[in-house]
Amino acid sequence: MLAKRIQPMVFQARRMYVELMFQVMGRALQAVSEVDNTVKEESRVLPEGFLFEMMVMPDGPSMVVEHTGLGRFRYHGNSAPRPVDLSIQFKHIAHAFLVLSFQEKTSVAFANDRMLVDGDISYAVRMTRVLNRLESFILPKLIAERAVKEYPQNLHLPEKLVSAARIYLKVATNFVETVRA
Amino acid sequence: MTNKYYEFFCPVKVIAGKAALEHIPYELAGLAAKRPMIITDKGVRAAGLLDPVVAACEESGLEIVSIYDDVPPDSSTSVVRDIAGVYRSEKCDSIIAIGGGSAIDTGKAVNILVSEGGDDIAKYSGAGILKHPLKPFFVVPTTAGTGSEVTAVAVITDEAKGVKLPFTSSFLLPNAAVIDPRMTLTLPPHITAATAMDALTHATEAFTCMAKNPLSDAYATAAVKKVSNALLAVMDNPKDSDGRLELAQASTMAGIAFSNSMVGLVHSLGHATGAVCHLPHGLCMSLYLPYVLEFNLESIREPLGELLLYLEGPEVYATTPASRRAEASISAIRKLRDQLYKRCQLPRTLKETGKVEESQLDHIAEVALDDGSIMFNPREVSLEDARAILRRAWA
Ligand SMILES: [Fe+2]
Repeated sequence: MLAKRIQPMVFQARRMYVELMFQVMGRALQAVSEVDNTVKEESRVLPEGFLFEMMVMPDGPSMVVEHTGLGRFRYHGNSAPRPVDLSIQFKHIAHAFLVLSFQEKTSVAFANDRMLVDGDISYAVRMTRVLNRLESFILPKLIAERAVKEYPQNLHLPEKLVSAARIYLKVATNFVETVRA
Repeated sequence: MTNKYYEFFCPVKVIAGKAALEHIPYELAGLAAKRPMIITDKGVRAAGLLDPVVAACEESGLEIVSIYDDVPPDSSTSVVRDIAGVYRSEKCDSIIAIGGGSAIDTGKAVNILVSEGGDDIAKYSGAGILKHPLKPFFVVPTTAGTGSEVTAVAVITDEAKGVKLPFTSSFLLPNAAVIDPRMTLTLPPHITAATAMDALTHATEAFTCMAKNPLSDAYATAAVKKVSNALLAVMDNPKDSDGRLELAQASTMAGIAFSNSMVGLVHSLGHATGAVCHLPHGLCMSLYLPYVLEFNLESIREPLGELLLYLEGPEVYATTPASRRAEASISAIRKLRDQLYKRCQLPRTLKETGKVEESQLDHIAEVALDDGSIMFNPREVSLEDARAILRRAWA
C-alpha cells in the first residue's frame, strides 16, 4: 500500500469525515421525516420496511435508513438488518467526500457517474429529492445552494431556522441515545 | 469548474451506408458466428424488409437458421423465454435484431438468456448484474429515432407482475449496428416525423441537461444538424434515400449522445404520457420539447442558444443577437413542428392528439415525477411545475 505510506493522515481524515457525515445524515433523515411535511409526502409512497442505503464501494462507510410507514424514516447505523431495497453507491471514497463536503451537488454526482443506483429508479428519484430537501434544511443557505440543484422557494428563513433547530436538537438527542444504548 | 468529470463509452461498430446489409456475413464470420437467428416483428416482415437481409446472407453462403417474427410492440418476459427456447433448439450461435425499439430490446434480453442460461429473464433485471460478454449480436434498425442500437438498456414487461423490468449493462450493446437506407425507405410519414423528433429530442436534451460532456456534445450537435437539414426533404420525398440515411445516422448519433449524457424532463413527461395514455413515444417528444425548453430556459440559455447554429444554419445564427439565440432555437423547433403538422398532422398539443383527457394531466404529472430521467433535468421540477407545463402543452 504505497499510497497509505505517503498520505495516511489525509486518507484517514477523509474517511472519518465521510463516516461522520453519514451518521449526521442518517439521524437528520430520521429527524426531518418526523417534522417536515414535504419529506413525509415524498416518502409516503415507499413501501413499509423499505431499506435505503448509501455506501462507498467496495465495502467502505455506509448509512442505512428504513421507511417505517407514513413517510417516517428510522436510522439503522451502518448495517442493514436484511438485504436493502435501494442502494446508492459511491465508486470511491473521494467521490463521497466531494458530495458530503458539499463541493459537488448530489444530482451532479449522479450526472458525473460518481455513483450507481442499485434498485428501483423511481425510488432513487424520490430519495434524491428527500436528500436535497434534507441538505437545504440542515445546512446554512449559502452552502445548501451549492449542495442542491435548486434551493426550495417555500423554505423561508423563520421556518428554516425553527425546523433546523428542531432537527439539530433531534440529531443531538439521537447521538446521546446512541451513546447511552 | 474543477469538479468537472465525465465518462464516455460506445464500443458499437457502426456499419452504415449503401449496401451496408451485405457486410453482415463478413462481420458475423469475424466473430466466428455461423448460425444466426433473426428476431423481428410482423410489420417488418410485411414491409418486405427481411428479404434484403436474408438475401445478403444467403448470397455469401451464410444460412439464417431461424426467424422469429412475432415480437409484440411491448415485449414481455414470456416472449423472451419462447425465443430463447427456439434459439437453443435450433442451435443458433448469434442474434440479428431487425426492427424498432421493441425488437431490439427483445434481442438484447434474449441474448442475456441464451448467454447466461436459465428461463427467467427477471433474474437479470437491474444494473451491473452481467459480468461477461454475451453472444454475437447485430442490430438493424428499421426506424430512425430510438437510438436503441447504441444504448446499453433494455426494457421488458413482466406481464404476470404488471411491471416493466429494466436491464442495464454495457454487455447489452450490440457488436454492430447496421444502418442501411433501404431499411427506412418505406417508413410511413407520421412515423418518420415522430421518430425523427425523438432523435432531435435525444440530441437536444443530451446537449442541455446536466450530464452533458464534450464528446456527447459533438454527437448531439451533428445529430441536430442532420435532422434539421434532412427531415422536411424526406417528408416531401419519402424515397430520398440520401435523406433517409441522414436521418438514420442522426438517430444513431443522438443515441450515442444521450446514452452517455442522459435525457431530461421531456422524456420524464413522455414516459409518463406513454404509460397513462398510450401515446407513441416520438409523438410525446415532439409535443413536449418546446414547452420543456421554455421551462428550462434560464438554466440552459447558453447551450440552447448554441444549438441555433445547427437548427437554422450559419446565416440565421450570425444575424441573431447572442441574447436572443436561445429563444430563436425554441422558435425553430416550433416552426419544424408546424411544418410536420402541415405534412402529416403530427399533433403539436395534447388536445390535438384526441387521445388525452384534460382530467388525466394531474396523473401524468405525478407519474413523470417518478421517472429516472428527471434527475438529469437542469432545473428541479416540482409537481406544480410539471402540472403547469402539461397545461401549457394541452392546447
Ligand atoms: Fe426518446
